[in-house]
Amino acid sequence: MRISGPLPRAWAICAKDAAQEARQRIALASVLFFAATALTLVSFAIGPAGFAREERATLHAAVLWILLFFSTATGLPRAFVREEETGTALALRKTAPGITVLAGKTLFNYFLFAAIAAVTVPGLAILVGWEISSPGALAVVLAASGYGLTVVSTFLSALVARAGGKNVLFVLVCFPLLVPLLLAAIAATLAAAGGELAGAPLRVILAYDGAATCAAYLLASAAWEE
Amino acid sequence: MSVFRLEARELSKSYSGPALFSDLSFTAGAGLTAVAGKNGSGKTTLLKILARLLAPERGRVAIFDADRELSGEERRRAVGWAGPDLAFYDDFTARENLRFFRLASGLPSMDERLGKRLERVGLGDVADRRVGAFSTGMKQRLRLAFALLLNPPVLLLDEPAGGLDEEGRATLAGIVAERRAIGPVLLASNDPRDFASPEQTITLSR
Repeated sequence: MRISGPLPRAWAICAKDAAQEARQRIALASVLFFAATALTLVSFAIGPAGFAREERATLHAAVLWILLFFSTATGLPRAFVREEETGTALALRKTAPGITVLAGKTLFNYFLFAAIAAVTVPGLAILVGWEISSPGALAVVLAASGYGLTVVSTFLSALVARAGGKNVLFVLVCFPLLVPLLLAAIAATLAAAGGELAGAPLRVILAYDGAATCAAYLLASAAWEE
Repeated sequence: MSVFRLEARELSKSYSGPALFSDLSFTAGAGLTAVAGKNGSGKTTLLKILARLLAPERGRVAIFDADRELSGEERRRAVGWAGPDLAFYDDFTARENLRFFRLASGLPSMDERLGKRLERVGLGDVADRRVGAFSTGMKQRLRLAFALLLNPPVLLLDEPAGGLDEEGRATLAGIVAERRAIGPVLLASNDPRDFASPEQTITLSR
């Protein structure tokens, strides 16, 4: 019998998570609620005319990534925690190796990140008057930075789930690891809003993505299997 | 004639205390191997180690097809396991659960075969019912279907009769009788009625 490769198996895990989410709507509802609440508070706090134009640009880029980081921190850890809490982790562990499970969960979380960004970016633009000169460049920055954020968050969620599934622990471990990525993402976002695709921060983001992928690939079995 | 065998060599395991078992070695060929012992003696732990769901502190487990040792994915697929803490996705139906696990194993879903697997364990009529609505006995039957899902030559069953009614017990006995002729079946239980003339018995005593 023909055995399919790792990608179709990872896709099956992603599709399963998506089907579960479609029926429960827990992760999506919680992250979108968090994003919408934070966005509203930020818009009231800084408003469209609260700061000088130059200051606003930097502030908007930083606020975007703060919103994206905490929104993902709310929803992404569920990928593995739910499997451990419901006891389905054993069946999954028996069925697929760590790297396949991690790839499937990362893929689902990447879609979740895209959904968060799809709400947060236009929301920020409308509510605080964020001007984006190059939406294409911003999309590239979001795609590249979102990938690194998703890989690291998903990998850490596998570790945290085995340690009792504490979300606080997830944020504490996640934040220092993601600081370099977030700083580069803010710089690249600032440049994209100004109309250019900044080379230096984007190279940092891509290098981070590569390093995160290698680390997750090498450590997947240790994180997921006994 | 089955050529598969499971070999455990000098297995040791403890949980922050005295060892559950140490230097445990045995070989299981085709037939029934009973794993007996009182509560807390390590039966579940042993079967999880054999299924590679837990790592032993020392020792190793190998699955052989004749003289060739299986490794990687081939090894994973060669061993079917069911235990009391095996859980399924409550929002999915029994058929959807099994379909997902087949796809995640890298095999085509083959709905026809899934239907037969579910019928074999007496869940044919409720194959499209959500698992969250299943009784304890129905979940136990689904665990059996999960263990048989990839048609593995090696079968590890931990307390497989728990929660089963008389009909369920008869189904289980039929499956064990069928599978022990094909390959090794290791069955852990506290109830001697579950062991029908085993070829060998491993008794764990802490």
